[in-house]
Amino acid sequence: MKFGRRLTPGAAPGPGGDAAIRAYHVSKSYAAGSFALRDVSLEVGRGEFVFLTGPSGAGKTSLLKLLFAAEHPSEGQILVLGRNVARLGDRAIPDLRRRVGVVFQDFKLLERRTIEENVGLALDVVGTSRREARAKVFAILKQLGLQHRRHHHPLSLSGGEQQRVAIARALVNEPEVLLADEPTGNLDPDLTVEIMDLIASAATRGTTVLVATHELGLVGRYGKRTVRLEAGRIVEDSRPRVAAP
Amino acid sequence: MSRIAARVLYFGRTALRGISASPITSAVAVATIAVCLVLVGGFALLVFNMEGLLDRFGGDLHVTAYLEPELSDARQLELAEVARSVEGVAAVRLVSADEAFERFRAGVARGADYLDGLGENPLPASLELALAPESQSAAGMAVVVESLDGLSGIDELSSGQDWVEGYLRALALVRGLGVGLGAILAVATLLIVANTIRLAVVARRDEIEILSLVGASPAFVRGPFLLEGLVQGAAGGALALLLLFGLFHLVLPSIAFGLELVLGGVAPSFFSGGQALGLVGSGALLGLLGAGGALAGDLRS
Repeated sequence: MKFGRRLTPGAAPGPGGDAAIRAYHVSKSYAAGSFALRDVSLEVGRGEFVFLTGPSGAGKTSLLKLLFAAEHPSEGQILVLGRNVARLGDRAIPDLRRRVGVVFQDFKLLERRTIEENVGLALDVVGTSRREARAKVFAILKQLGLQHRRHHHPLSLSGGEQQRVAIARALVNEPEVLLADEPTGNLDPDLTVEIMDLIASAATRGTTVLVATHELGLVGRYGKRTVRLEAGRIVEDSRPRVAAP
Repeated sequence: MSRIAARVLYFGRTALRGISASPITSAVAVATIAVCLVLVGGFALLVFNMEGLLDRFGGDLHVTAYLEPELSDARQLELAEVARSVEGVAAVRLVSADEAFERFRAGVARGADYLDGLGENPLPASLELALAPESQSAAGMAVVVESLDGLSGIDELSSGQDWVEGYLRALALVRGLGVGLGAILAVATLLIVANTIRLAVVARRDEIEILSLVGASPAFVRGPFLLEGLVQGAAGGALALLLLFGLFHLVLPSIAFGLELVLGGVAPSFFSGGQALGLVGSGALLGLLGAGGALAGDLRS
């Protein structure tokens, strides 16, 4: 795999076309003088697939939390799908989150609900009728090879299957952006590739995908743009080289 | 199906799932609400019956003017005319001494034979004054009595004024006790429901977090909890109604004598349909308010 240009840390993004995510000099601190993110500027185009890498504590999760408005930046501005997350009121956050799917390392599935109900939660929230929701859930579970498990409960599924359910829940509303925070962190190597293939396939359908991972081997396998964070700063933004004609 | 209907169905499913997930906590909440409402409902039942009695007697309030013995017929008629002109008097009926005796005889039924031994009629003639609707009160009776008191030919004036005033005082006391007890128990109920819903919120933290992540609005997250409070409150109200109905029919015969003193021998009646709905609705409202209080500011994140 070939990686391209290196950015000066903290540099503003170049003029992008139709960006799904734009971060301008974003900093996040939880305690005075202690920064989880420092002067981060980033632009991710619509339909683009980006790996966010770096060691533990580099700020990957903090950046993702800012992107789905779980937290507000201490400084700077973040635009997600044209909405300024830094200024987003409590009432506007749900609207944004319906357009942004999120996948976590620990799956975040409800143990007492069936797979169908877990995936259907995202549709309940937008008021989809039960019949339509069932059809949509069945379709997405079929895509992910889990339709036969829809009446099971999460704990009866393997880790890989549980993560596929979490991906199904994140994708069932056809979000414009998919954020994944260490989605393969709890999985075996074989399952890791399977799950990452599923996430990558979302980008081929036009969804903007941002995957936070510290598994460099995985990053190399896909040859996608990679943004590396260290101590809260972007230290590298590598894009795959386009082959010369 | 509209989005609203889909959401209402979701709220219903989730609320029932929440109740069934913690049946003991929910049952304790329902039982506590029921006990509180039985106490308040019992007072309400007593007040309604006392008010009903007053309404029933209120339409029948009258003043009786007993005439002096040996008063001439002309003077009796003259006094009847005077009484008719008094403010608040709707009608006047002259009851002769003989008619009064016959009424008394009919009233004592099996004891009538003893009356034959009296020799002469001991009862006086009287004027029965029916009161106009606006004077059907203790104050209205007082005006009529004051107007006739001291007139020549009137021996004695009788009215239910003292009884009505005493009854109204007793009614106010019972009503005040009911309102005071109701207020205290309503606060207790609110706290119990609020505590139950808080426990449910803690038990379902994961669900709330996930709902929030997939774009649920705070109202969407709160909906099932509010419905849970409302259902528990309504169930407590319905249980209270059932218990009161049972107590009313099972216990009433054994306290009939005491009730007779309060209700004056009138058979007590249970809640009307509207009042019964009001009791269940009060439970539902308490449940809803308790749940609302528990959620206020609790789910902002």
